[in-house]
Amino acid sequence: VGTLGQDPGEELIKLKRRLERERRARLESETIAEHGLRELYEKKRQLELLGEIAVAANESTSVDELLRFALGRVCQATDWPLGHAYVARDAGAKKRLVPSGIWYGSDGAGMEAFRLKTEATGFDPEVGLPGRVLSTGAPAVIPDVTKDGNFPRAEAARQSGIRSAFAFPVLTGTEVAAVLEFYSERLAVPDEFVLRLMAQIGTQLGRVVERKRLEDQLIHDASHDPLTKLPNRTLFLDRLGHAMAVNRRHPEVAFAVLFIDLDRFKIVNDNLGHRAGDELIVQVARRLLALLRPYDMVVRSPAVERPGYELLARLAGDEFTILLEDVRELSVAVRVAQRVLDALGSPFSIDGHEVHISGSIGIALSATGYTAPDEMVRDADLAMYRAKALGKARYEVYDGKMYSMAAGRLQVESDLHRALENEEFVLHYQPIVELSTGETVGFEALVRWQKPGSGLVYPDRFIRIAEDTGMILPLGVWVLREACRTMRGWHEEFARERPLTISVNLSARQFAQPDLAQQVRQIIEETGIDPGTVKLEITESVTMGNAQQTVSVLSELRELGVRFSIDDFGTGFSSLSYLHRFPFEMLKIDRSFVLRMGQDGDSGAIIRTIVNLARDLGMQVVAEGAETEAHVAQLKKLHCDFAQGYFFSRPVEAEAVRGLLAGERREVGLGRD
Amino acid sequence: MFGWAALDCYFAPVRIWMKGIVFNLLEEVVIRNYGDDTWDELLTRTGLDGAYTSLGSYPDEHVGELVGAASGMLGLTAGEVLRWFGQEAMPLLAARYPVFFSSQTSTRPFLLSVNGIIHPEVRKIYPGADVPTFEFRDGLDGRLMMAYRSPRRLCALAQGFAEGAAAHYGERLEFEHVECMLKGDERCLCAISFTGDGRA
Repeated sequence: VGTLGQDPGEELIKLKRRLERERRARLESETIAEHGLRELYEKKRQLELLGEIAVAANESTSVDELLRFALGRVCQATDWPLGHAYVARDAGAKKRLVPSGIWYGSDGAGMEAFRLKTEATGFDPEVGLPGRVLSTGAPAVIPDVTKDGNFPRAEAARQSGIRSAFAFPVLTGTEVAAVLEFYSERLAVPDEFVLRLMAQIGTQLGRVVERKRLEDQLIHDASHDPLTKLPNRTLFLDRLGHAMAVNRRHPEVAFAVLFIDLDRFKIVNDNLGHRAGDELIVQVARRLLALLRPYDMVVRSPAVERPGYELLARLAGDEFTILLEDVRELSVAVRVAQRVLDALGSPFSIDGHEVHISGSIGIALSATGYTAPDEMVRDADLAMYRAKALGKARYEVYDGKMYSMAAGRLQVESDLHRALENEEFVLHYQPIVELSTGETVGFEALVRWQKPGSGLVYPDRFIRIAEDTGMILPLGVWVLREACRTMRGWHEEFARERPLTISVNLSARQFAQPDLAQQVRQIIEETGIDPGTVKLEITESVTMGNAQQTVSVLSELRELGVRFSIDDFGTGFSSLSYLHRFPFEMLKIDRSFVLRMGQDGDSGAIIRTIVNLARDLGMQVVAEGAETEAHVAQLKKLHCDFAQGYFFSRPVEAEAVRGLLAGERREVGLGRD
Repeated sequence: MFGWAALDCYFAPVRIWMKGIVFNLLEEVVIRNYGDDTWDELLTRTGLDGAYTSLGSYPDEHVGELVGAASGMLGLTAGEVLRWFGQEAMPLLAARYPVFFSSQTSTRPFLLSVNGIIHPEVRKIYPGADVPTFEFRDGLDGRLMMAYRSPRRLCALAQGFAEGAAAHYGERLEFEHVECMLKGDERCLCAISFTGDGRA
């Protein structure tokens, strides 16, 4: 494109220059575009990386697996051939990084030296590449590890041909949970964008670590008892199942289950409150754990795949179980049981109260040939019941008979439920006679069960079960109401100068009810009985435990006008100190002393002592079990106030009492005439 | 002299695309050695319009046609043209992408970095670039064995590039086609030995 009047040669030069300019512009724009394309490519790949990590984070089942995946993907995406993860552990107040052994590219040529050194090296904050990341919580770069003053693994790195390094933290919140480190044999520095991306990846991974921690916590919580931190039933059955599996492969490796139930725990719980009950459970757990130090409890066998061990679990309430693995002989299980009994034997201190409990233990042995963990626990449980039935604070080893006994007990339980609904209970009454006058002054109400098809069932056959199941509460209310209603009828029918009294037994569990006084008041109002004629008989065990609460319940009842006797005196743990603290008016001497009276001189002395004691405390004394004329004569001589027993009358039905009272009235009437 | 039929053996029957950078390099090499007119003449003879940008992709056959025309004009075989092109293109590449050359100190590691570093970078800039993968191993006699499979069968170009790289590092190399797709083998296997004292 020439300009007029110009030399063609000059014009050619100009055209060539123009061409050259165009050409340079093209090359430059190509270069710019290439840069842009490259950057775009990198960003796209990095975003893909972030996306892949996010997907893996959502799908991963373990943190290790996710770290491994992340290491691999970061290495591939950044073209850094080697990656390793350090994980943070609590070390006192601060954190320390320990090698995880999770690598990418560690099998590459020559990497052995660096891998070994790394797996033997932990880092405190500030130290080395991981330590720097640990203290700053931010990515870090070392352009040349051979020239860095703070890279303790420099020699191993040199041997493995490593030059450059970078690392970034896995953050849970602001806390470093792990540090991922990457290495290259080239001299390279990741750019700002890559480091930002790595920080994002670290945050992503951190969320998963946090999620897993919560999950682990949940799993731990689901398999442990929150109060004692001991394994719970689920975990115990799981471990027991494992022991069974080992036993199937190695039948010579026997194991045992101890089922421990605390005696009198309910009383403590009811009297001192649930918080105290919890405290007792925690203290028991602590004692049992201390007992189960692995070294001297179990005969170890080097042949088994795992050393035998003892696992203590809290099954429920006051029930604990111990799994003893690798028990060579019964004596090992028995020795542990005896230690448990000893450990529970010394008193516990709960909220300043000295609390005495004991344990009943059932033992089941793998030799019985169990196939399911819960069967074995059930049998140990049955053996425990047997231990309780035989007097508590002892152990029993399961044998096959116990199953049928337990089945019988279950039958009684379900029959009892029905009995209450069908009103199969009935009261019998035993007269209480004043020894000086021979006059009947009152009656003790005694419950009987008219079991269809079985005749009359006495309390020794069902009261304990009613206590254990809690059925004693509705039954107790029924007994009290029925006794008051009946006596109120007799008061009307057979009016006397000294109204007849009615004695009703109150169990420890009934006594522990916070609304006991209300219940009693309601019955008094309902039946219209004179409360002064109602005598509640409680045993010594009721008064142990929380004295404060006992006093307050007793005074509430006292305000209603009812009276109290202490039942079975001399048989429980007789702490005389409580006698004067409580408003008892009458003391009942247990029948065992009366029955032995003729045979040994001590019994007479004991009765005399009790009578004197009662007198000093302003209480009257009733003797139970007066069966013969000799008994009565001797009790009179000992200045006992009242007596009841077969000599006067066995417990009889209400109708028979009416007859008795009617006859008495006739006699009295005749005498007056 | 090669006719079209002879050139067919160089290029696969399916249409593949060659990146514009190859045409730019060829243009530059021809102009530098033979002047603008020769490049114009090659375009005239092949009937191609010659507007190539490094960012574009162009039919693979264009390379063959230009190489064919060049061998006619220069009195060389197509293989000799490709080898010469490779040798001459290397300094241009070194000027354009210096980092690939400066991060290595001699020809051998440079060749070994083609698969792992250079070609991945090429793919970043030119998505979909159809770059070959070489298989390297150490031969028993100490030579570097390089296997090459490509429907393009451009082993002569590879030889030229390798020789150009050796010149860049001040080395010389012996390049033997032990097996060759052009001779009917299913791959090209090249045995390379290096002489020289490294960087010039």
